[in-house]
Amino acid sequence: MTKEQRLKKRHSAERRFRLYGIASICVALLFVLILVNNIFSKGSSAFMKTVIDVEVFYDPELIEIENGASEENIREADFYDITIETLLKSYPTKNLDEENELIDLFTTDAEIEIKKAFLENNNLIGKKINLEITSSDDIDQLHKGNYPRDLPEDRRRISNFQLKIYDTLVENNKINKNFNNYYFNNGDSRDPELAGIGGALVGSFYSIIICLLLAFPVAILASIYLEEFAPKNKITDFIEININNLAAVPSIVYGLLALQILLATIQLPRSTPLVAGITLALMTLPRIIIPCRASLKAVPPSIREGALAVGASKFQSVFHHVVPLSLPGTLSGTIIGLAQALGETAPLILIGMVAFVVDIPSTPIDPSSSLPVQVYLWSESAERGFVEKTSATIMMLLSFLIVMNFIAVYLRQKFEKRWN
Amino acid sequence: MNEVKIKSNNLNVFYGDKQALFDVNLDLNEKEVTALIGPSGCGKSTFIRCINRMNDVIDICKVTGNIEIDGVEINDENLDVVSLRERVGMVFQKPNPFPKSIYDNISYGPKIHGKGETKSELDEIVERSLKKAALWEEVKDRLDEPGTGLSGGQQQRLCIARAISVNPEVILMDEPCSALDPIATAKIEELIDELKKTYTIVIVTHSMAQAVRVSQKTGFFHLGKLIEVGKTEKIFKNPDNKMTQDYITGRFG
Repeated sequence: MTKEQRLKKRHSAERRFRLYGIASICVALLFVLILVNNIFSKGSSAFMKTVIDVEVFYDPELIEIENGASEENIREADFYDITIETLLKSYPTKNLDEENELIDLFTTDAEIEIKKAFLENNNLIGKKINLEITSSDDIDQLHKGNYPRDLPEDRRRISNFQLKIYDTLVENNKINKNFNNYYFNNGDSRDPELAGIGGALVGSFYSIIICLLLAFPVAILASIYLEEFAPKNKITDFIEININNLAAVPSIVYGLLALQILLATIQLPRSTPLVAGITLALMTLPRIIIPCRASLKAVPPSIREGALAVGASKFQSVFHHVVPLSLPGTLSGTIIGLAQALGETAPLILIGMVAFVVDIPSTPIDPSSSLPVQVYLWSESAERGFVEKTSATIMMLLSFLIVMNFIAVYLRQKFEKRWN
Repeated sequence: MNEVKIKSNNLNVFYGDKQALFDVNLDLNEKEVTALIGPSGCGKSTFIRCINRMNDVIDICKVTGNIEIDGVEINDENLDVVSLRERVGMVFQKPNPFPKSIYDNISYGPKIHGKGETKSELDEIVERSLKKAALWEEVKDRLDEPGTGLSGGQQQRLCIARAISVNPEVILMDEPCSALDPIATAKIEELIDELKKTYTIVIVTHSMAQAVRVSQKTGFFHLGKLIEVGKTEKIFKNPDNKMTQDYITGRFG
């Protein structure tokens, strides 16, 4: 082979390699794009809800209380009759069946919404107001275009009569889309239009805080000790290998461990963020220790020597110089570890966080759900409304992860000191 | 001839199974510059790291024999290395300022030894140290800027100022000019000349010319052994040992 041929071959090998690289990046980007597009197209509609404009008449005949009644009395009062009356007025009906079908267009919480409007404005007795009542899931999905209306009636959840009402309401501009406050404020519900991630958000928040409080100090102290103070011998080698092993243990194993020790033996309350936090902390610990040690190792030895040479003790050289310098790496490692914990599902299922929890937990020892488990729960539900809720929750989860990873990168770039 | 400040007696150093120093007996005089020369890996850095016990940092390093400073044994397990290093400062091969401000670089030592109680005392120490290191004029207006932003020669003078700040008796210099250009080197050498009035200085160097310029006494190491030691003039003009002669004339190294 001549020199020119060799040179040509070398150049073409380089070009080929670049091409492969670009091609693989394109494939990866394509998959991400498909995934994001799929989630967005399904999930973005969940942030809006369909409402039906009705006229509420707080009829003194039907209402049990008087103007100026205390808030407590109003909360206990029955608004059922007024609600039925209001809903039935929205469209003329001939018989009981039709009445039932009409009422089914509205959410089961219509009474609560009517009561709430009354609570907010406490002298409505005998007055009429226009109120936007949340529609049922079927109407919601129909209005968002997720529901095929050309199916035969017996295969539809919405009857022909209901379709007729819907069309009339649309014609009269009685149907609108509003911001879906239920999605953010409510806990789980059997009715998709009322189900929200409020409980899961709070549950995930408590779990991650507990995970952080337990895992961060332990991981920092362990990595500082192992990296700076521990003698290098067989025992520390053994510990090092096992930390790496623990980081690779499937998360479901930590779930089983927590099930046996935390729930069965210690008898902590199940389905709670407390147990979830402890379990996630166990899982996250090695995953934080590894980047912490790496960032301690990255501090050049000359800094340690410089400190020791002016008479700093070992402890002072570590805590005055090495640890502050490793902090950006340590913090970003911790945040990435927490982001992994936030998305963890399997161990939480084992400790009973799959329970159907309607109430939003007020303390970490109340039963609760968490974001990834909520995704898992809703993805198994049959109602169409839960499909968009599943995707919307994935969007929420992903945006939290993206924000956390962004903070991690930012911390590292902003505060990383350069030496020489 | 000045009084003997540091005295080593049958000093042996081992890194694991490998012996790095063999029975080194070397006396270093007070307020004088002693240069240690020799080919790479001959043990001169190892020797000066024994004087402030920096070898303690290395797990596998073992030191036997004696080193005395002012007649007090320092190679003693019960000795407090922190107070030893307060008395014996060190400047390293590569400038290693802390990634902090110039002020903090200097004030760190006095602070941890409780030498500057008040801000004004610290200010004074910082100014005095920087003046002694001939850096004050160049940095006095930017004391809060990072020390790592200075040029290489300035960084090394900053490290010297840092060593001076705790008011040591001895300053060890491990090839302090090897990473510097000739102009910066000249400045450091001038500085060493000035500093020897106050401090006992031990300098490891690869540059024979530097040893001649700055030192009064020179020791030649080879393969972990101290081959010859004596007045710098004598070592470079008329060494007793053939090997020293070969080294200084550049026949090996």
